[in-house]
Amino acid sequence: MKNKKKLLAGPYLFWSASFIIIPLFMILYYGLTNNKNQFTLSNIAKITTPENMKALGLALLLSLVSTLICLILAYPLAMILASKSMNQTSFVVLVFILPMWMNFLLRTLAWQTLLEKNGVINNILSFFHLPTQSMINTPSAIILGMVYNFLPFMVLPIYNVIVKIDKDVISAAKDLGANNMQTFTKIIFPLTISGIISGIIMVFVPSLTTFVISDLLGGSKILLIGNVIEQEFKQSSNWNVGSGLSLVLMIFIIVSMALIAKYDKDGEGTAF
Amino acid sequence: MKKLLQNIYLSLIIFLLYAPIVTLVVLSFNNSKTRAKWGGFTGKWYVSLFQNEQIMNALYTTLIIALLSAFIATIIGTAAALGIQSMKRKPRTLVMGITNIPMLNADIVTGISLMLLFIAIGTALKFVGIQFSLGFITILIAHITFNIPYVILSVMPKLKQTKRSTYEAALDLGASPIYAFFKVVFPDILPGVFSGFLLAFTMSLDDFVITHFTKGPGVDTLSTKIYSEVRKGIKPEMYALSTILFVSVLILLILINLSPANKNGETKPKEVNKITRISHFIFRRIVPIGMALVVVAGGFFYNSKKNLKGNNQVIVYNWGEYIDPKVITLFEKETGINVVYEEFETNEIMYPKIQSGAIAYDVVCPSDYMIQRMIENDLLAELNFDNIPNIKNIGSQYMKQSKQFDAENKYSVPYCWGTIGILYNKKMVDKPIDSWSVLWDKKYKDNILMQDSVRDAFATALKYLGYSLNATDLDELEKAKELLIKQKPLVQAYVIDQVRDKMIGNEAAIGVIYSGEAIYTQLENPDLEYVIPKEGSNVWIDSWVIPKNAKHKENGEKFINFLCRPDIAKMNFDYITYSTPNTEGRKLIEDPAIRNSKIAFPSATELERCETFKFLGNKNDSIYNELWREIKSH
Repeated sequence: MKNKKKLLAGPYLFWSASFIIIPLFMILYYGLTNNKNQFTLSNIAKITTPENMKALGLALLLSLVSTLICLILAYPLAMILASKSMNQTSFVVLVFILPMWMNFLLRTLAWQTLLEKNGVINNILSFFHLPTQSMINTPSAIILGMVYNFLPFMVLPIYNVIVKIDKDVISAAKDLGANNMQTFTKIIFPLTISGIISGIIMVFVPSLTTFVISDLLGGSKILLIGNVIEQEFKQSSNWNVGSGLSLVLMIFIIVSMALIAKYDKDGEGTAF
Repeated sequence: MKKLLQNIYLSLIIFLLYAPIVTLVVLSFNNSKTRAKWGGFTGKWYVSLFQNEQIMNALYTTLIIALLSAFIATIIGTAAALGIQSMKRKPRTLVMGITNIPMLNADIVTGISLMLLFIAIGTALKFVGIQFSLGFITILIAHITFNIPYVILSVMPKLKQTKRSTYEAALDLGASPIYAFFKVVFPDILPGVFSGFLLAFTMSLDDFVITHFTKGPGVDTLSTKIYSEVRKGIKPEMYALSTILFVSVLILLILINLSPANKNGETKPKEVNKITRISHFIFRRIVPIGMALVVVAGGFFYNSKKNLKGNNQVIVYNWGEYIDPKVITLFEKETGINVVYEEFETNEIMYPKIQSGAIAYDVVCPSDYMIQRMIENDLLAELNFDNIPNIKNIGSQYMKQSKQFDAENKYSVPYCWGTIGILYNKKMVDKPIDSWSVLWDKKYKDNILMQDSVRDAFATALKYLGYSLNATDLDELEKAKELLIKQKPLVQAYVIDQVRDKMIGNEAAIGVIYSGEAIYTQLENPDLEYVIPKEGSNVWIDSWVIPKNAKHKENGEKFINFLCRPDIAKMNFDYITYSTPNTEGRKLIEDPAIRNSKIAFPSATELERCETFKFLGNKNDSIYNELWREIKSH
């Protein structure tokens, strides 16, 4: 009986082998060969050129900052959501998924309208006779775009672990004389680490690799590693270099997955 | 107090999340075509939306892909979750690890890896004589791939909560395993399955990056359609559509959440309970199913419309917004040939697609230097001019000019031409501009829009320095690079077609622009003026060519011939406002001010200062690219 049940995973295993594992080997192959199909490491070495290092460094910086902002914003938010009564929460959680029904590109583009020199925010500022700000096409605009787009991915996993905390544990801590601060640092926070880790990864990885947000809100003035890779594929048609750089990115992703495996053994802190 | 603070915080975050959405909703009622200007309230975009076949097709492709992929992913994923659950610890960790890959992996890497796979499969299948290229199926496979993990991860927790003992009890009572599963286990995991489906659907709907890499010609989801429109300015119909989508989902959610079923904890008289049950049934089953039916029916409707057109087709690859859509409809009507239309943004984006041969386009519209490159790399087919008699309408001077890149006029037919120059806002500069030097004037810091394409950007610097814009001398290029790096702090943004909207909206004082856009911007904003700088500039021609691997060459030639008809050329000119080389067509332009416009048809003396781009060889090409990347990432 048990063995038969395992077979149910068969189609999925076949699917993931064909469309997850093999494609990754394709990248590996392209990344380690040149256009004459000879083995080379030069594609990966391309990451050390000053321009690419800068693009990678900037991408790392911006994504770290936006991940941090997301975490700071999301944690209290998740706690507030968790404290709401059950019926309300399902609605409030949906409120965070709902924006995804408005196309991601349009939402990001709408920020252009808001941030532009003659945009909505500056119009409001000048209406109150406040000095206008130049906000668009700066690293801060890109960070805003990242936080805006990926915040739900931080809120949901943290929320999911917070609601699972047994209320009795908290009461027990209080009964034993812990104040609010102690309850938080000793009980709640450690119990939510798995959610925090997956939240961090779910925000960090897409921000690190985005090319759309930097394109739309950075005025193409700011090149992130994602833009470099996209250009290698779509413009320079240099698939080998593009794959080589993707392999470098994969290092960060593999580290993330190792972290998940370490802290989130049961897959509890998954976003959904 | 604490509650209040909490609620304030919550509202602030929700405000942040919804501010852009409100903006889009407002824009959908904007009477002006550009995002930059408020032109009064209108509902007309909601009407024209349903007549816009391109957007409706994209919508239905999106919905069908989302539904199909979510559905298939739900089946595979639920089965997989059941299977994984009964695995031993080690293999289970391994499989869960694999499941995490598409979720944690960067979209761009997933997209690229699938694209590489699909293209490899396509080349492999070619040997057996099966056609397989990027298209609807590849997008679907890609979406299923990244959707399955969402399903598995929503079903697994529910599965963990189910008690083995109830299932075993059912077995003991004589139920068959399948019967027991559907009666005992399935109802328990149903919420997980359902939310998995919903998530998968949402993710598929919202995906751009993976679709961007795995799509083929003529297939567009809303995301890719929007991305191609971003550069030119989004069509207002798109805002209208998003608003409709958003509002219908919102209503659906409110209905589900407010449906009386949620309050049935209390004891109620029997009749009320019955009513509750009925309304529950209506809200939770009929409304969603009804909406799904509308979607599916609409999809079949639009698809059948497409299929009726038959297999006699021509695949066109053109610049964004570079043809009057009515011209395509007219062509389809007159010839019965179905036009599959795809757009590109720059020559550099177009070239690799043709070179890789992954997609067999029938007619393409590159610029001069790119045509030369394609000829040199043996990518183009010689045209059969017996099928293009209308070539006689093209002015001889343009055919002569074409010889610079197509020595014997064998491969190309001119479509549009123009110059590159400076568009400036008379109200935002103190004196008329006549030189490239303003692009380095500190006065205009943050007020300059540069072209985001290698050759055009270098052309401005090279010309300013007094060099040829086909310079290959490393010293000259290095100097141009230094100059462009020096310029970077002054530049507001590097843009392609967005320069049009931004200049109309007074976002910048100065922009480098193609002459064809200048006429349109002047119509929208009379403060704008276009000038070809005195140092000289670039004069370019975009021409129709047919790639060697085209499958419908004759249809392609028919298409080119059709575009060379004077009345069609004129119709096109009215719409895209790029200078036409069609001398007969130009005569038909009604407005003499435009027919003799200095911008559209500059004088011979002005053109003398201008050069045409040449293809400089693969090596120089990569030098340009390298330098450009240094500038961009400086």
